[in-house]
Amino acid sequence: MALKLNEQYCSRCSICRSLCPFEAIKKDSETGKVLLEIEKCQVCGICYSACPAKAIDIIYYDSDSLINYLERARQEYGSEALVIMCKGSAPDFTEVERLFGVSKFIPLSVPCVGRISDEVFLKAIAMGIREIYVLACDENYCRFHRGSPVTGRRVLAFNLLLEQLGYGREAITLKRHSLRVKADRDLCIGCGNCAFYCPYGAAKLDSPGRANFDLNSCRGCGLCVAMCPALALELENWEREHISNLISKLLSEMKSPRILVFRCQWAVFPPLDGEFSPNVRAIDLPCTARVDTLHILEALQKGADGVLIAACPEEDCKQEKASGRAQHLVAALREKLNQIGFQDRLHFCSVAPRYDERFDKELQQFSQRIKDIYSKGERK
Amino acid sequence: MIVTAQKPLDEILDSISPYSNILIAGCDGCTQPPRGLREAKTLSQLLELGGRLRGKNFLFKATTVVKQCDSFLAASALKPQVDGAAAVLSLACGAGVQTVAELFPGLSVLPAQNTHFIGVEDREGGILEERCTACGDCILARMGGICPVTRCAKGLLNGACGGARNGKCEMDPAKDCAWELIFLRLEKQGNLDRLKEFRPARNYQLRAWRLTP
Repeated sequence: MALKLNEQYCSRCSICRSLCPFEAIKKDSETGKVLLEIEKCQVCGICYSACPAKAIDIIYYDSDSLINYLERARQEYGSEALVIMCKGSAPDFTEVERLFGVSKFIPLSVPCVGRISDEVFLKAIAMGIREIYVLACDENYCRFHRGSPVTGRRVLAFNLLLEQLGYGREAITLKRHSLRVKADRDLCIGCGNCAFYCPYGAAKLDSPGRANFDLNSCRGCGLCVAMCPALALELENWEREHISNLISKLLSEMKSPRILVFRCQWAVFPPLDGEFSPNVRAIDLPCTARVDTLHILEALQKGADGVLIAACPEEDCKQEKASGRAQHLVAALREKLNQIGFQDRLHFCSVAPRYDERFDKELQQFSQRIKDIYSKGERK
Repeated sequence: MIVTAQKPLDEILDSISPYSNILIAGCDGCTQPPRGLREAKTLSQLLELGGRLRGKNFLFKATTVVKQCDSFLAASALKPQVDGAAAVLSLACGAGVQTVAELFPGLSVLPAQNTHFIGVEDREGGILEERCTACGDCILARMGGICPVTRCAKGLLNGACGGARNGKCEMDPAKDCAWELIFLRLEKQGNLDRLKEFRPARNYQLRAWRLTP
């Protein structure tokens, strides 16, 4: 399990309970004990960083491993500027440069900046990091509902503290960001798929049949992009060409049999220093809804022996059950692959970060299957 | 919309096997589900992978046409693209395939789709159903907007036949009895007396094969 509440340290202050966006923390009315309902937990880490008694243990991105990472990364990147980004809206490096005006920086991207505790900020400053930039999601874009406002308040309080310590005003720069759909209306054929599939009503189709997007409602799941038959849509930061290039690059550095994983960034939280075996590489997506059948096929064409899709279970999906649609698409593609003789090369699994060992297990099983297929092929 | 379904990939692979250079042409027109550029590309990738296992190296080019059944639009979209291709694999309905075949009589034009009917899509359920037979003599005004020619298994104009069970057709228990639907709709509208009118047998001469617009 990814999160644990240590009763012996808990002071029963209930701060965690009041902050949890998913009502996964309860107070027992009789005993007064604070209890965690792990089934509801999405491992955003907001409770972890807010607990004054440090009674909560978390597997991913706990303060110690973040601080270790910073020490390592400071050497590696040779910079004294730190950019902490929320995965949900983290842009590529050039965009970070444009947003904050820094060209050399230590990147740190985590699922929700709301999980970064004061301790990490303080240690970073003590380490000699001079500039800290925080990129949180726009408030209506936050995948953990409260993560972005929590970050805002924390940075505000921290800046006041740093000012008193003589670090100047607004020592930490906070900006908000989100990644949304981009439509090329010249390519639109007016089929209405985007309008039908968008879970947020952000797409509309007016006569004479061209899609219109209300970008304020777009939450960047990418489902419309995957469903557009005319390839008229792109998702910022996950453009088709960008993913294609990534597929080529990763496959070229892998060893056979090659397994490419497309994973929803909310379904699997990779460790900061995570390394796969040389047979496996992963591409993180904003939601499994952005998994494109074209990319799965492209991976197989370019030499992948197996493709694994890791999605959130439908009830955990941060995007209005978009993962269910993705599952449907993948199933249809599997059927087609069976028809041409590529059986068992594509696997869809639902995993949640709260059970950290489940993804590893799925990957291990799938790797075994692909190894078997591969060695059979070699023998022929 | 014209409802089509993709042929089994085996059959498509067989049909393209004599050729190496193949142009895959999608259709953005009324064919449903949409068979545009995405489908053309997906199909080219699948056939390329399938070809590899069969020891064939196909060379595909994927493109799309606004409306393949319009010879003017099909010609302007495809003429610049067919150079070097020995065959065109069309994702359009039968009308589109024939238009392209007529445009390029020297090329083999092959269908990737089976064309089924004029129908509607229930997107939520992912089901496509027939709604119109193109009989040339529309009686929907008197039928509460439900076509018995298409939806009654017997095509009765004076129904119901009496064979329905629990609202389902005796020919196919998965299918609603069209006449029961018509009865319920007219009842809701307070127009049940329309059912008392006798409707003469369908005039098959009205089913045109050529018209002047």
